Amino acid sequence: MSRLPEDLERAPLVIAEDERPLEVAPAKEPTTPAEWVSRNLFSSRASGIVTVVVGVLLLYVGLRLLRWVFVSADWAVVKSHLRGYMIGRFPQAEIWRIWVAVYFLVALAGVSWGASGLRLTWSWGKAITRGLATLAALGALLYLIESTRIWLALLSLVALFAGAVAAGRTWRFVARRLVIGGWLLSFPVVILVLRGFGGVAPLEWGGLLLNALVAVVGIVLSFPLGILLALGRRSTFPAVRLLCVGIIEIVRGAPLYSWLLFGVFVLPFLLPPGLRLAEIIRVMIMFVLFSSAYVAEIVRGGLQGVHQGQYEAARALGLPTWRMMALVILPQALRNTIPAMISHFISLFKDTSLLAIVGFLDVLRIARIAPQARFSGSLRQTLLFAAFMFWVVSFSMSRWSQRLERRLGVGER
Amino acid sequence: MATAAEAARPPFWRNVRVLRILGQVIFLALVAVALRELYLNLEFGVRRQGQDLSYEFLRSRAGFPIKEGISYSPNQPYLRAFLVGLVNTIRVAAVGIVLATLLGVVIGVLRLSPNWLLRKAAQIYVEVIRNTPVLIQIVFWYFAVVLTLPAIEGGFSLGGVFFLSNQGTAIPWPRAGPGAGIWGLFLLGGLVVAAVMWSWRTRANERTGRPHHRLSLSFAVFLALAGLGYAVAGDALRLDVPRVTGLIYAGGFRLSPEYTAVLLGLVIYTAAFIAEIVRGSILAVDKGQKEAGAALGLTPFQQLRHVVLPQAMRIAIPPINSQYLNLTKNSSLAVAVGYPELASVSSTMINQAGRAFQITVMVMATYLTMSLLISFVMNLANRAVAYRGVRR
Repeated sequence: MSRLPEDLERAPLVIAEDERPLEVAPAKEPTTPAEWVSRNLFSSRASGIVTVVVGVLLLYVGLRLLRWVFVSADWAVVKSHLRGYMIGRFPQAEIWRIWVAVYFLVALAGVSWGASGLRLTWSWGKAITRGLATLAALGALLYLIESTRIWLALLSLVALFAGAVAAGRTWRFVARRLVIGGWLLSFPVVILVLRGFGGVAPLEWGGLLLNALVAVVGIVLSFPLGILLALGRRSTFPAVRLLCVGIIEIVRGAPLYSWLLFGVFVLPFLLPPGLRLAEIIRVMIMFVLFSSAYVAEIVRGGLQGVHQGQYEAARALGLPTWRMMALVILPQALRNTIPAMISHFISLFKDTSLLAIVGFLDVLRIARIAPQARFSGSLRQTLLFAAFMFWVVSFSMSRWSQRLERRLGVGER
Repeated sequence: MATAAEAARPPFWRNVRVLRILGQVIFLALVAVALRELYLNLEFGVRRQGQDLSYEFLRSRAGFPIKEGISYSPNQPYLRAFLVGLVNTIRVAAVGIVLATLLGVVIGVLRLSPNWLLRKAAQIYVEVIRNTPVLIQIVFWYFAVVLTLPAIEGGFSLGGVFFLSNQGTAIPWPRAGPGAGIWGLFLLGGLVVAAVMWSWRTRANERTGRPHHRLSLSFAVFLALAGLGYAVAGDALRLDVPRVTGLIYAGGFRLSPEYTAVLLGLVIYTAAFIAEIVRGSILAVDKGQKEAGAALGLTPFQQLRHVVLPQAMRIAIPPINSQYLNLTKNSSLAVAVGYPELASVSSTMINQAGRAFQITVMVMATYLTMSLLISFVMNLANRAVAYRGVRR
C-alpha cells in the first residue's frame, strides 16, 4: 500500500508539464460592445423584451438587496460573534494553537504545490491584478471586522508561496516523498497541537474549526474504507461482494440525520461495556461510515473506467492481485475520480451543518443562538453569514475542481 | 489419460475452488462472530437500562402531540405516530419532487438561453444555491422568511383567493360534490375512449404514413367526455376557496408555515442540481444530431422536441433519480424547523420511549424502502426512454 500514494501523485504531474490543451477553436473575432449587446441581449424581438423585463426585475431586486446589506442591515451581531463563527468556545488564551496548525497546513499545501510541478499559468499582468484583488478583498474584510488577526492570515499566504518555491526548485524530488508522509501525519499533528500539552478538549471546539475538522476527518478516513468497499463490491467472492453491496446500499439508503441519531443513541450500546467514546467521536465515526459508502461508489466508477487491457497487462507481467490493484489499476482509477471526490468533499462539508441539530456548536448553531439579548431580531444576518461561510469554501473548491479537471484532462484519455 | 489427469489433480488444500469456498466460509464466520458480539453488547446495554429489544412498545400510548398530518391524538399508540410521520414525509417529498423537477428543467434550459442576461441569472441562482447547505436554507426560509411574514390580519392576499402569512399558506382546492361519483364514471370512460383513439391513430399512422395527431385527438376526446359528464352529473366539483376567519384560515388547502419552509428549501435546493443535470445532458447530445434535424427541415422547436430532448432524457434520468433520492432523504432535515415528518417524529419517540435501536432501525428501513420504490419507478421511466430495437 505504501507505493500507492507516490504513483497517485506522479500521475497528474506528467500531463501538467507536457500537455497543454490544444487550441481547437479559432481565435474569436473582436466584437465591439454594440455588436455584443445586439447579439447577446437583443438578438430577436422576444429576446429584447425578455432582456428589458428581466433586467428591470433583477435591477430592482439587486438594488434592494444591496441597500439591505450595506445600509439597513445591522451587522454588529456578526462582528461580535466572529470568533464564535470561526472557532466556537475555543479559549482565547489558546488561540495560538490554531494559528500554529493553520501555518503548518498552509506550508504543507505550499510544499505539495511546489512538489507537484503544477505551475501557475498566469501572466504577470494577471498575477498582479489577482494579487491586488485579493489584497483589496482582505483589506475590506479587515476594515469590516476591525481585527488585526487578518494580517496573520495574510502572512500564511507567504508561507504558502515560500513552501512552493522551496519545494519547487532544488528540493522537488525530496519534497515529493516528504509530502505524502506529511499529509498522513498532518491529522495527528493538528490534533496534538490543538489538544496536547494542556490544550483544548474537543468539547470546546466549535464554529468553522469543528465543521472543517469533521469534514476532513470524514473524507480522509473514509478514503481507505471506501476503496476497500469498492474493491469488495467487485470481488469475485460472492460472500464478500454481497456484504459490501449490503453495507453500501444500506448506508446510502438512509439519510445522514438518521445515521447521526444512530451514532448518538445506539452506538454506545454496541460498543463493549467498558469502552466509552465521546459524543463528538461517535458522530465522526458516523460521518466516516456515511462518507465511505459514497467514496466507494465514486471509486467503483473510476474502476469501471479502467480498460480491461490494463488488468490483462498487469496479469501478463505476473503481478499478484493486490500488487496489480495497488500499482496498475488504482492509480489510474483514482486519478479519474479526483473531480467527483472533490465534489463529494464539498457536499460532506455542507453536510457538517447537521452537527447543529445533534447539539454541537458548529457554524449554524452559532448563527441560531447569536441573535439574543441586544442582538434580537438579527437572525437573518447571522444565518446569511453562516451560509456565506459555507458558500465561500464550497464555491472556491468547486471552481478549483473544474480547473483541475481541465488540467488533468479527465475523460479525454 | 484419465489416470494422468487424476494424478495431476492437486490435493484439495491446494485446489483453488476448494480454497475459494473455504475462504468465504471463514470470512462469513468472522462476520457472524462480529455481529454476534455487537448483538450481545447491545442486549447487555439495553437490559441494564431496563429496556428490551422487542417492538411491543409500538402498541403503547404515544402521549405526545403532533402538529399536522393525518388524524391523530396523543392517546393513540406509537405506531400511529410513526405512520403520521411517514405520511408527512411522503407529503413533502412527493410534492417536492414534482416542483423541483419543473423548476429545475426551467432553470436548466435558461442556462442555455441565447440571452446573456437570462443565462447569467440562472447561473447565479445555481452557483449560490448549490454551494450552501440545504439545512441552512430550510432554517432560513422558516425562521427568517416565513415566520417574519405579517400576522394573518395583515397577511398578503392575491385577489382574495390565495393567502400568505406567518400562519402559512392557503390556496383554493377542488372538493368533490354530490355528483362526483357519476362524473368519475364519465372520466374513466373518457380515459378508455382516449386510449382506443391513441392506438387507432398510431396504427393508422403506421399503415398510411399520415400524421397521427394522437396526442391532441385523444386529449380532445377525453375533454369532450369529461365536459359532457360534468354537465350530466351536475355539481360534481366545487372549488373550495379559503377565507380568513378570525385568526385562522378556513376552507381551501392550507399549508403550515413549517411545511411551506421545508418545501421551499427542498425545492429550491434540488432544482439547482436538476438544472445542472438538464443542462449537462442537453449539451451532451452530439451537435450533429441537431444539425441533422435542421437538415431534415425541422424547426428549432421540433429539433429540440424530437431530436435533442429524447436523447438528453436518456442521459438525464439516472442522475435525476439520485437527486430524487437526495430530496427524499433531505426531507429529514425538517426536524430543524419542527415539521413532524418521519425523522422528527422518531427522534421525539426516542426521547420519550428510549428504544433507540428499534426506532432507528424502523426509520432506516422505511427510508430504504422509499428509496427502492423511487428507484423502481425511475427505472421504469428509464426503460421507457431507452434505445429500442427495430420495433419503433
